[in-house]
Amino acid sequence: MSLSAAGRPASRNGPGGPWPEVLAVLPAAIRNIVSAAGDDILSRVEEIRIRTLKPLMLGLDSGDVMISPDGSPAAGRGQAYTVGEEDVNRCLQLISGSSVYALEEEIRNGFITIAGGHRVGITGKAVLEGGRVKTLKYISGINIRISREVIGAAASLMPKIIDRDGKTIHHTMIFSPPRCGKTTVLRDAVRIISDGLPEYGLPGQAVGLVDERSEIAGCYQGIPQRNVGVRTDVLDGCPKAEGMIMLLRSMGPSVIATDEIGRAEDVRALEEVLNAGVRVIFTVHGSSLEELALRPALNYLFRLGVVDRYVLLGRRGRAGVVEKVFGAEDAAKTGVAKC
Amino acid sequence: MLKLLGAVLLVGAGGVAGILVAREYARRPVELKSLLASIQMLETEIIYAATPLAEALERVAAVSDRSVACFFEKAAGELRSMTGCTGAEAWERSLDWYYTMNSLTRREMSILASLGRALGISGREDQAKHLRLACEQLKREIIRAEEEAARNTRMWNYLGFCASTAAAILLY
Repeated sequence: MSLSAAGRPASRNGPGGPWPEVLAVLPAAIRNIVSAAGDDILSRVEEIRIRTLKPLMLGLDSGDVMISPDGSPAAGRGQAYTVGEEDVNRCLQLISGSSVYALEEEIRNGFITIAGGHRVGITGKAVLEGGRVKTLKYISGINIRISREVIGAAASLMPKIIDRDGKTIHHTMIFSPPRCGKTTVLRDAVRIISDGLPEYGLPGQAVGLVDERSEIAGCYQGIPQRNVGVRTDVLDGCPKAEGMIMLLRSMGPSVIATDEIGRAEDVRALEEVLNAGVRVIFTVHGSSLEELALRPALNYLFRLGVVDRYVLLGRRGRAGVVEKVFGAEDAAKTGVAKC
Repeated sequence: MLKLLGAVLLVGAGGVAGILVAREYARRPVELKSLLASIQMLETEIIYAATPLAEALERVAAVSDRSVACFFEKAAGELRSMTGCTGAEAWERSLDWYYTMNSLTRREMSILASLGRALGISGREDQAKHLRLACEQLKREIIRAEEEAARNTRMWNYLGFCASTAAAILLY
């Protein structure tokens, strides 16, 4: 088992990259425009934004661009392709496989995961029932976030989080501002931990993965579309706090992984897992330890002093670069000071 | 002798034509009942199992009567083809094809067409309304088709023979 087949991160989405699955859910007019955009743009696309009566936009790693009807970047709004109501409706039909009724829970949560593990965010008018969102209607905005599996994205992270003596990993928190590759790095770390990394003395571990938003394993109809390792059990679409406890009780994991911890109940569940002798690796939104310490739930976690590694990711050149690794003492100091 | 042969042929052809028309009348309620049963199965798949439409259509096709299974099978195939066609379009294409090979009337086909336009575009509650409406409309059509069949089947069975016999006598 190696960190990466070629020694450096490599995208792995099968022939044609992520595009066959993504193009399949675009209405014909938009599909033709996006297909004509050219490889240079397509290889850098992170998002496709489809908003009713607004220009069609592609979110690239360097920022977003409006796209003209011939697929080239538009100089201004006037030259860009304007998305029609019919485009959005058709897109929703294609995303749902004409089965909106089968995705009521997903629509209520505001996102749908399509084949290939790509996450589609939707906005519209919320219909409330008892003060809670029952569903969305008049869908007017669709954001297709293209999920790229980067084998080797966690290559530089792994040596810093492996506990060679215990032949496992340290309790690890990965944090960064949005779009710095937390999920990509976590996914690859889960794969490596699950498959094992003998050169660093890490045997394969049973990993329990709580994938509340279907972003890590990219499950489509329950089957992971991403390589998350041979010893990984995925609890897809399950709330994190509940999922961690369920995995702990039912699957006997050595490591539990999850994304975007932040609420008090998540930290309480995490505490239970930590006290059960299971290692954890999870991600958090934030750009510094000081900022994280301002959030009450995370402040409490800092004071517990149980997380061994706090890994800050950055975006130098590419997403998922390890900027700095902090120890428990750094967090404890920050956390207690701000408390 | 030749005249006699011609008369026999005329009576035979008229009789067969009458039987065929009578059979169409008798076939309609049977087909409508099969269609109703299939749509009720589709309702179960959509409302209770929340099965994705393509899979639901395939399941219905697998257990439906042979006369209507091909319709659901084709609609599922169109939807699975990933050519960017929606559920409504897949249903419509299949319906256009099916129309050429069954005994249903335009009114009955329009019930199916209306259902197709609503299929898969809304939540379960709304889908249930559309499916139940289509079922109710089909039930009314079944009653009508049975009455027509009772009235016309026997008549056409005799009419073919009688009319052709009368024509033969006149020509003889």
